[in-house]
Amino acid sequence: MISSDVILVFVSLFIVFIGLGFYGKYWRKGDLNHVHEWSLGGRRLGTTLVFFLIGADLYTAYSFVAIPSGVFAKGSLYFFAIPYVMLTFAVALVAMPKLWTLSREKGYITASDFVKDRFSSRTLAIMIAITGIVAELPYIALQIVGMQAVLTVMLAGYANAQMVGEISLLIAFVILAAFTYSSGLRGAALTAIFKDVLVWITVIVVIIAVPISIGGFGNAFKAAKENYVTLPENLVPAYATLILGSALALYLYPHAITGVLSAQSVQKLRYSTALLPLYGVGLAILALMGVLVYAVPGAMNFLSGFPEGSRGILVVPSLILYSLPAWFSGIALLGIFVGGLVPAAIMAMAQANLLTRNIIKEIKPDLSNNSEIRITKMSSTVFKFVALAFVFSVPATYAISLQLLGGILIVQILPAVFFGLHTKSLRKNPLIVGLVAGIASGIYMVEMANSFGPLTSSLFKTAFGPIYIAVIALAINLAISFGGSAVLHRRAIKNQTGQL
Amino acid sequence: MHSSIKYVVLALLVLIPSFVNLGVPIYNRDSPELFGLPFFYWFQTFWLFACTGFYFAYAKLVENKA
Repeated sequence: MISSDVILVFVSLFIVFIGLGFYGKYWRKGDLNHVHEWSLGGRRLGTTLVFFLIGADLYTAYSFVAIPSGVFAKGSLYFFAIPYVMLTFAVALVAMPKLWTLSREKGYITASDFVKDRFSSRTLAIMIAITGIVAELPYIALQIVGMQAVLTVMLAGYANAQMVGEISLLIAFVILAAFTYSSGLRGAALTAIFKDVLVWITVIVVIIAVPISIGGFGNAFKAAKENYVTLPENLVPAYATLILGSALALYLYPHAITGVLSAQSVQKLRYSTALLPLYGVGLAILALMGVLVYAVPGAMNFLSGFPEGSRGILVVPSLILYSLPAWFSGIALLGIFVGGLVPAAIMAMAQANLLTRNIIKEIKPDLSNNSEIRITKMSSTVFKFVALAFVFSVPATYAISLQLLGGILIVQILPAVFFGLHTKSLRKNPLIVGLVAGIASGIYMVEMANSFGPLTSSLFKTAFGPIYIAVIALAINLAISFGGSAVLHRRAIKNQTGQL
Repeated sequence: MHSSIKYVVLALLVLIPSFVNLGVPIYNRDSPELFGLPFFYWFQTFWLFACTGFYFAYAKLVENKA
């Protein structure tokens, strides 16, 4: 059973977290009855805050749960997360400043706002909004799985641990819903800093203390299985395409776009993006925990008490608990817990913006400003609880697989958004067909790769070796979007010359 | 700096790190080790700092252009 010191420190820090969340309302005050004030922090966040806010999108349960869990179970393949984050910032540096500039000029809040304006197509804009909302949902669910993992480890051995865990999650979400309702993005940005301070302290302590106590990294790699030292030759195409596909997808997620648009100036956006690879150092340390844990007998013994499939998600919290002092574990575990909570808030806000502005407002164009903000706040609350209900009803391992599917879906809006920003040759109808074809082929390949059973793999076996499905489906989408646009363009020219 | 040279430099500042990141065989080896960490792991972690340098130079150069 875990010492009550852990829980005491955890709860005290959580109270500080709540205080910060509500205080956000008064911080850099603006009229929160305006959508851009509530959801973009008044577009006034400087280099440091955007750094933390977009960092909050990266340092999510994806880094605490999905990646270490993958390294623990499958080895080096899951270290792709490190080059992926490096590449994603190159993509962002090139693609996003233009979106920021146009949004400031024309008042866009979502990617769908831009697409509607650029291609004068309601259909395409609505489809992009729906894709965003759907792809974001499993991402929120993953955050909750991470929070659940912390509670599972912390409460192990206590009576009614599962029930207490679920009630605690529910309480945490009610509090989160209350402060995002009143503070908007400001609350999220402020709590993001708090969370990042705790997480950075944790990863630095772990990377120094654990290797010393186990006698060097070498021992961990000896204790782990064979394919942990380097990447097996046959997985190189998988590794490279996972990097590419994930890097292209990250900045298309609605919550990442929220982070970008909240920057105060385009130059501040560039600087914070340039510095963001430093965040990846923490991610690398967390990923290594998936190997380090093999050399910590206490943690391995604890993990062996759980079914094999669900051990991975518990790796980080149990490694912390069994290698660091109790009071410190309390700090670290809270860092991970709110590390799921803060991104969940930002993601639900981004979904709510899409639903209100790009779906409801399309159907009911005479929506007043007041109703718009009210519906946005309310739906952000609803989305959080939908994700919570999802986690309570399906096994945790499922949430991780669905998040992989989310990446395959969201990358399909790339032609309309990134190429829409930077090229002139695309037309709306080929983009619509390409989007549908990309999504349909992506889902079909995922089903084939998993033999129509439970989703565990997002790699498709080809003649070149296993390839990340998102990349193949995107290639199909791009071919249709550009090919179709070129045909339409040629036809238009022919008609013109015919008339002459 | 001449403007066309500037564009080439800007492109390289983004393309060089990307080429290394996607060129998996470049870093897929076990030695030399660092503190018992295989090359594969420490190189990619180290490369994060190098990327930050490339990207920061990119941001700086774009700013001077404007």
